[in-house]
Amino acid sequence: MTRSLALPATRRTALAMLAAATMALTACSAATSGGTDSSNGEVVVAGTYPIDSIDPDGPQGGGTGPQMAEQQIFSRLVRTKPDGSLEGDLATSWKPDSTATQWTLTLRQGVKFSDGKTLTSADVVDSFKRFIDLKGTNAANFPGYTMTATSDNEVVLKASKPDAAVPRKLAVFFVLPAGVAPNDTAFFEHPVGTGPFKLEKFSPNEIALVPNPNYYGGAPKVKRVTIRKMPELASRLTALRTGEVDVAWGIPDDQLSQVESDSNLTVKTIQSSAVFTMWFNSSTPALRNAQVRRALWEAVDFPTIIKQLYPQTGSLSDSVVSPQTLGYVAQQPVKYDPAAAKAALTAAGFDFNTKLRLQFANAEFRQFNQAVVSDLEKIGVHVDLLEKEQAVFTKDLLALNWDINFQQLSNPMLDAANTIGRLYPCAAKRNGYCNPQLDKLLSEAGASSDEQERVKLYGEATQIIWQDAVGMFPMAVKYAYAWNKRLAGFSPDPNGLPDFSHLQVRS
Amino acid sequence: MIRVVVKRLLIGVLVMWGAASLIFVIVRVAPGDPVSILLGPDAGQDQIDQLTASLGLDRPMFAQYLSYLGHAVRFDFGDSYLFGRPAMAEVLERLPATAELMLASTLIAVVVGLALGLLAGGRPGTAVDRVVSASTIALQSFPTFWVGIMLILIFALALRLLPSAGSGTPAHLVLPAVTLALPFTAIVARLTRTSVADTMREPYIQTARSKGLTERQVLLGHALRNSLIPVVTIVGLHMGGLMGGAVIVENVFAWPGLGSLVVDSVSNRDYQVVQAATFLIAGIVMLFNLVADLVYSQLDPRIRLEGTS
Amino acid sequence: MSVLVDARSGQQVAARRAHATRRWLGRIPYVVLALYAVIGGVGPLLIDYDPVHVSLDDRLLRPGSHLSTGATAWFGTDGVGRDVLAQVVYGARTSVLIGVCTVAVSCLVGVAIGTVAGYFRGWPDMVLARGIDILLAFPAILLTIVIAGAFERSVLVVVVALSATAWISFARVTRSVALSIRERAWVDAARVLGVRPVSILLRHIVPFTAGPVVALATLEFALVVLAEAGLSFLGIGLPNSAVSWGQTIANGKQYLESAWWISALPGIALSLLIINIGILGDQLTARYGRGHLR
Repeated sequence: MTRSLALPATRRTALAMLAAATMALTACSAATSGGTDSSNGEVVVAGTYPIDSIDPDGPQGGGTGPQMAEQQIFSRLVRTKPDGSLEGDLATSWKPDSTATQWTLTLRQGVKFSDGKTLTSADVVDSFKRFIDLKGTNAANFPGYTMTATSDNEVVLKASKPDAAVPRKLAVFFVLPAGVAPNDTAFFEHPVGTGPFKLEKFSPNEIALVPNPNYYGGAPKVKRVTIRKMPELASRLTALRTGEVDVAWGIPDDQLSQVESDSNLTVKTIQSSAVFTMWFNSSTPALRNAQVRRALWEAVDFPTIIKQLYPQTGSLSDSVVSPQTLGYVAQQPVKYDPAAAKAALTAAGFDFNTKLRLQFANAEFRQFNQAVVSDLEKIGVHVDLLEKEQAVFTKDLLALNWDINFQQLSNPMLDAANTIGRLYPCAAKRNGYCNPQLDKLLSEAGASSDEQERVKLYGEATQIIWQDAVGMFPMAVKYAYAWNKRLAGFSPDPNGLPDFSHLQVRS
Repeated sequence: MIRVVVKRLLIGVLVMWGAASLIFVIVRVAPGDPVSILLGPDAGQDQIDQLTASLGLDRPMFAQYLSYLGHAVRFDFGDSYLFGRPAMAEVLERLPATAELMLASTLIAVVVGLALGLLAGGRPGTAVDRVVSASTIALQSFPTFWVGIMLILIFALALRLLPSAGSGTPAHLVLPAVTLALPFTAIVARLTRTSVADTMREPYIQTARSKGLTERQVLLGHALRNSLIPVVTIVGLHMGGLMGGAVIVENVFAWPGLGSLVVDSVSNRDYQVVQAATFLIAGIVMLFNLVADLVYSQLDPRIRLEGTS
Repeated sequence: MSVLVDARSGQQVAARRAHATRRWLGRIPYVVLALYAVIGGVGPLLIDYDPVHVSLDDRLLRPGSHLSTGATAWFGTDGVGRDVLAQVVYGARTSVLIGVCTVAVSCLVGVAIGTVAGYFRGWPDMVLARGIDILLAFPAILLTIVIAGAFERSVLVVVVALSATAWISFARVTRSVALSIRERAWVDAARVLGVRPVSILLRHIVPFTAGPVVALATLEFALVVLAEAGLSFLGIGLPNSAVSWGQTIANGKQYLESAWWISALPGIALSLLIINIGILGDQLTARYGRGHLR
């Protein structure tokens, strides 16, 4: 008789233990995570790109992720507005001399750092020196430039040669307090800046920003902005829909319709400055010939790839830079013609046994590149598709350790000087291409203070780059932003660098 | 007892020395020169020479090895080239998240595993037993990462009950902890089942029954208590397996712990962090094994440590 | 009383029936594994698949849809229009190939080391025990990730990385077999007759390890296939041109909501394989491995 009781007894025990397990789990997790309820004024932003450092002058400082965080904490002298025009940040005016080699900038009066100290020209000059000395990616825009203080609220930037693009270029220069050492990790753990926010907490996975009461434009009206690293698209989107994050962008077309169907979310696409840029390494023997490079471009059916993979956020690019960039001039589209491509390659003596290395970083571009490789394979060109981690990618990119390089190249300055002028001269050594005629055009364009003239010269330069197929420039990119309707004051940014200072939370 | 503990600790030190040496060998044999990784491609020869010297890479390999060991003893593995700060600091910062995940998983596995084991072992050979045994085989066979994805599909995407990835709230912990706990639960359940089934055959159980104890009292009073000893031991011994599972689970759920750090660092060739993380993990696993052995010998007087290796 | 007897005979009938079903159930793993072997071996001859070739017109089609080529995608297609069924078939080949190679390598290494340590005892045994202690301080998958991640991607690197920990169980089992066999009379006799140790090992010790080693090999095979899939899922080890279940599952993760089949179906294929090997391994262990395994 006792036996028949055994089963229910054990079952009851088991159920009790299951219940205990659930309770223990809940208790344990509640104890360890401290509970962050989404009370008023808290805004959570899904960060697509890693933010490993917030030193704007360091080797990682120019990346999209770090720059987004840096512009909340540190101010710049000037910045670009979403429509591409310039506005003063710490500078109220900027004037060139007659040759555009000397620029005089007047600083805003009474700006205070987050620690209460007043900003002076000494801080700006010292920051600029640090910016140049540390040779970060953006410092290459200012070769041999120097800055001096002429008074407490005026600085002069002296270019090594005439440079009309100085104001736009300055949009990537951040002002720190004077005296920050090159590897001052202690400073960047508790940075002092003049931006709208102060850093509350920095970890590779989460950055918490709180309003800077000393901000010259008035402290932001939110309680806290948290940038949470979410490299995975699926987690960004789920988090957006569950309300766990308030803003996310870089939403691919495949997922856009689902996001649009959510009534709590506002979705908007905006033409970005980014262009899919696929350089050929012209120093690779197989790709030295412009005929070969052009044939490869002809062999890829970009219109179809874009139609299938980026129906809403992509369009066929007709230049090296995006339409709203200063220096944009439309070029003749390259026609998809695999037969002609194959013939041209054969005529140019291309060795079909070579295996080209196509490198890219970020899984979001995998399918695009797979499609490119597939099209090239169709005419018998073998390509090894190499997806690399960002750090390895950057290292190999600079070392020219690739044959074809894919990048989504954005241009936060919205000035061709930053992309065409910076990346294509022989001295830049970025893609193995060297053309003295192009060098001459670029230095003339950089030196001219006449905007019309600059556009014309950049147009001629673009034509050379386009005709010689220094790379393929297949697609102009739109960014899709989605944000929770409880947020007010959010405006999408063409560079993926939205400003959080006007954010407000509707109650 | 003290002699045994000392002997065990000495073996532990030996193991850590071996582990550190193994990591040293792997990293040195791997292609890729740390100096060029640290400096980037634009560095001049003088910079390269300077850093090579300051890192001690110009010295004979054996001298490098000795200095590596010297630093390893102090938990110093150099600076992460990606984060620009001490690798061990980076690793220690990620440790709590992994610990949280593993603790939650262990709790689930032990409690659910014991329950299932009691259920099956209480009446060996019945349908319940067979169902439990079959499902434990299945639980151990499913690939962890796939189970994780399927749980996301069901609970995050279809039912919208739980977040699919990330960390921060208790809800975030549920899916990764359950995923990590499943195979472990199966192990605990199988172990408990065997132990309970064995106990139920012991003569003293019959005695207990004849004294009029209910089946429930017998199960909880004797069978459960007896099976706790192997379960405690397996918790200690399985720490390595759990840590390995955490590496994968953290990547599925974007959980910001040691596991995702290790995989990122391996992909980015941030060897300082890889060394620091593997060393720390080896140390933790070794400590847990040691404690499990000692606890086992304390709980069960029949076991003597001398004989085991 | 009669009720009791009835119940008992009823139990016997049920037991006999259960025995028959169990015998049939026991054969399922063989059938399933044979199916995998056939699919992995013959499938690639019947189904054409080129991981490089994408077909954007056929993106994200549901299982059973018609492709632009007129064929049917029974398992659906992935984000660039590649057939998921073909990926499962080719992935089976990759998994089985790597599994067999790894088990073969670790079996050879493990048996060699294990017999030597068990037969000679003394310092070789000591070194083995401590060496195993060191390796076991790392979670197996961690060591595999570090080794596979440190070197250029290739199948060989994956096999080596997986073997780095897989040999341990073989060494332990053969060591324990060797320890017990070396005390047998005929081994003593051979020793007294002056037979060289190598011959004793090969002729008198190694053959006795065969049973437990076969049982262990099946279990290890399952673990290796799982580990390889995990490695590919993390994007470590195998070159991009290789087709593997782990990779396909990882690729499908971003389409979970719209195209569940990319991740789900290869995972089911993988799980079925592992479960059946597990059952087979348990059966073999029950038959050969008693006292030596686990």
